[in-house]
This record gives sequence, structure tokens and C-alpha cells, in this order.
Amino acid sequence: MIALEKVCAGIDRVQILRDVDISVEPGKLVLVLGANGAGKTTLLRVISGLVPLWSGNLLFDSKSIAGQPAHELARSGLVHVPQGRQIIPTLTVEENLVIGASHLPGITQETIARRLEAEYERFPVLKTRRSLAGGSLSGGEQQMLAVSRGLMMAPKLLMLDEPSLGLAPQMVQRILGALAGLARSGISVLLVEQKTMALEIADHAYVLKNGAIVHSAAASDIVDHTELFRHYMS
Amino acid sequence: MSAANFVQLLLSGLAMGAIYALTATGLFIAHLATTRLNFGQGDFLMFAAYLSMALLLAGVPVLLVMVVVLVVLALMGWGLERFAIRPLDRMRALVGGQYSWVLTTMGVALIIQNVVTLLWGKSSQYSPPLFSANRQNVVQVFGAGVFVEELLVIVAALAVILLFYALLYRTRQGRAIYAVAFSPDTAALLGIDVRRTVVLVFVMASVLAAISGVLVGPIVTVQPHMGLVFTVKAFAVASLGGFANPLGVLVGAILFGVAESFSNYVNSAFGDLYPLLLVMALLVIKPSGLFGEAKTDVR
Repeated sequence: MIALEKVCAGIDRVQILRDVDISVEPGKLVLVLGANGAGKTTLLRVISGLVPLWSGNLLFDSKSIAGQPAHELARSGLVHVPQGRQIIPTLTVEENLVIGASHLPGITQETIARRLEAEYERFPVLKTRRSLAGGSLSGGEQQMLAVSRGLMMAPKLLMLDEPSLGLAPQMVQRILGALAGLARSGISVLLVEQKTMALEIADHAYVLKNGAIVHSAAASDIVDHTELFRHYMS
Repeated sequence: MSAANFVQLLLSGLAMGAIYALTATGLFIAHLATTRLNFGQGDFLMFAAYLSMALLLAGVPVLLVMVVVLVVLALMGWGLERFAIRPLDRMRALVGGQYSWVLTTMGVALIIQNVVTLLWGKSSQYSPPLFSANRQNVVQVFGAGVFVEELLVIVAALAVILLFYALLYRTRQGRAIYAVAFSPDTAALLGIDVRRTVVLVFVMASVLAAISGVLVGPIVTVQPHMGLVFTVKAFAVASLGGFANPLGVLVGAILFGVAESFSNYVNSAFGDLYPLLLVMALLVIKPSGLFGEAKTDVR
């Protein structure tokens, strides 16, 4: 679904990513683990077109997407749920849900209504809060809203930047459960995290350190190597 | 002060207030989405007033005049963003300079002032009325003789503002402006073309200046340096809305216009001063504007 080939990128003149190779197959949930400052957020921002690529290549659906503007990528099914949820605080929950989908080319009101119902079914709490301002929701509710807002855009690939940040463990389990369900339904998921909880639901995991991939393995193998893992994360 | 006097002053205050609301809404919307605005907003208004005056005097029908002025000013708004603002963002990454747009938009304003002086001369002129056959069209309101022109300016300006609010609060484009105001990156991730939205707000700001200019022409004297006064007043009014609250801009503009009208009656030499002092005093007490924390707030 998405493949990064020797990706180098940075912000201003400072290089952050060094020769990163990552691939996510259709319907798989891939986890990128890394400490603070490892380059996880930059990695997702490069893929979604917010940060320019210096060298290497990005393939989405086996076509190169290097240099394509972010909004076009978002419309073509590469959906990025940014760090800190980024819910627009003054729009209502429902307006937040609809805003992304409403900019998809050729989408009809019926399709939007149908997807809206599906999301309300996935996270019923959003339905009860539908006409409240997005900014008034709790952190967990905002994270659900952010995931649902992304799903409203019918992604082929859903990328999430630390959805567990600042959430109670229970709420994290709930979000991760929803993500596992998405992967089963055929959506590719690329998840970046600092915490290891998501290893339980991931198919494959990478470890990112100082902007480079230092470890890549099936998630089930990593669980048995917490020692090795602790080393990389320090 | 007689009752007739009072009604007259109130209505001309409302008319000017409605004009300020239009002009200030232009500043507000551009600043909201981009944290930049056009320091020549008043000069865009002035240019629109001249263009409409010239076309009216040439015998062009009023509706056609409006269409032409709107289209020309929309193009100017596009040009302002494209040539006086956007290149600076590209430069900023290399050499810095976060507020260079203040200078470039003021520069455009100076160019417009001089072009207008070249084309139409320095002296004050009177624009023919839009809605009446001559300048003596007066109706009686509560015993006061009021220009029909002024009444229709109030109606037209308020209608445009309501239309604008409907656009901002009820349409996909309006929500895209909210999203860009909140965060351009987040907006892009939601499939919103940020650059197009930025162009759109500058075109909208410019069109609002155009409408103000067409409407204000017949109720004031038109001269090449009238723009700065409008820019300053629009700034004061936009501040009353905290640059974030459209309702505050509207209410602030109406209050400002009425205050100005009465203060000019009391003291014709320094009449323009007192409303501005009032705004300063208000901002000292409530720096976030009239309804700074209200729900209509967009940020």
C-alpha cells in the first residue's frame, strides 16, 4: 500500500530522517516505535506531504507520490491523523466529522450520511455529543473523533501519530481495539508510538532511533525481546 | 438637539457603521485565515469608490457598475495575495522577516493612491447617487429629512454582511476557512486546498472593500487620500471584535459609526477623534473585544 525507499528528509537545514525503508501491506497494521525526538512525527509528515522529501522515494498504491501536495494525497486515500488530535475546537463534533469527507471529489450527501452513521456506530459517544463544540470533548473522546474524522475520508491507508498520548490505559485499549478492527476490514494502518502497548495488535514493527530504522521484525517476535527493545528506546 | 436632528444623526451613523462593518470584516477574514491582512484595505475601498464614480458618470447602468467594480477588485485581491504577500512567505524560509507584508501591502496602497491621483486628480469629488435620480431624494422619517441613499446603504451593507456570515458558518468553504484558521497543516490533512483558501479570503476581503467603496461614494466626498482613514477605523472596529468574532465586528462597527456621527455633531473639528478614544478605552477594559469569549468566536 505504502512503501518508503531510502527516504531522507529534514526541517529547515537539519536532517531528521536517514535512509528510512518502511512498507505497509494492504490490511496490515504496522507500528513504528521510537523515543521522543526519534523522528516519528516527521516520518508521518513526510509521507503525507507536509514536509518535503530530500531524497529517496515514496510509493502509494505503487505510484510515486513524492512532491504531491498534502491535500491531494489526503483526498486520494492517504489519511493522516496528526499528533494532539487537532480537533477544530469551534466546530461541532458533527462538523468536524464531515469537514474532511466534504472535500473529497465527487462525494454525495448520501455517502457522507451513510459514513456518519457508521462512525456513530463505531463510537456511540460521538453521537451523543454530535452538536457540542469539538473543543469541549475529553481527550479520549477527541481521539475517537480524530480517528472517525479520518475514517470519514474512506482511507486506503490510515496513519496515526501517537493516539495514546495523554489517554488513560482503558481508553488506549479502546482506540487500539478499533484500529485492529480496521486492519481486519482491509484498511492499512501505520501507527507511530512511544509506548509498546500497540505491539499486541500490530503485524509488523519497526524501531526508529535518531531518524534511522534500527530494527524491523514481526511484532510477535519483538514482544519476546523487551530487553533489546529497551536498549533501542533509551 | 431636536428629535429630527437625532434621527438624522442616528441614521447617518448607522450608514457609516454598516460601511465600517463591511470594511472591517474584510480585515477580519484575511487575518483570521492567514494572520495577515491588507493595510491598504481603505485604499481598495477608495479605488472602488472612484471606479464606480467614473463609470456612473459615464452613464453605465448601476447594476453593471457594481459587477465591474466587484470583478476588478476581486482581481486586485488575487493580485495582492499573489504578488505582495505570497512571495514573502517563500523568502521568509530563507531570510526571515515575519511582518514584511505590512510594508508590501502599504506599498500597494501608495501605488493605488498615486494611480488614482494621476487618473482623476487630487481634488474632492462627489459621486452620483446609486439608488436615486439626484442628490435631493429625501424621505421623512419621524419628522426628519433623511437621504434615501443613506437608508439603502444601511440595508445593502447589512444584507451583504448577513450573506457573508451565512457563507462563513453554513458552507463547506466557510468551514474550510475555519480549518485553515485553526491550523493550515491540519486543514491540508483534511483535503482542504490551503493555498486556494488563502487566495479566497483575500479575494473576499477585496470584494468587501469594493462593496463598501461603491456604497460609500455617494454619501461622502471622494478623494485620493480618504483610504487611510477607513483603514484606521476598520482596524479599530475589527479590534472591537477581537479580530476573531464576526458579531463583535458588526456590533462594534455600528456603535463606532453612531458614536462618530454624534461626536461630529458636537465637535466638528475633532469629531473623528472621540470614537477612536472610546475604542482605546474599551480595549483597555476588555482587550479581547466586545464578545471576546463568546461562542461566535472562531478561534
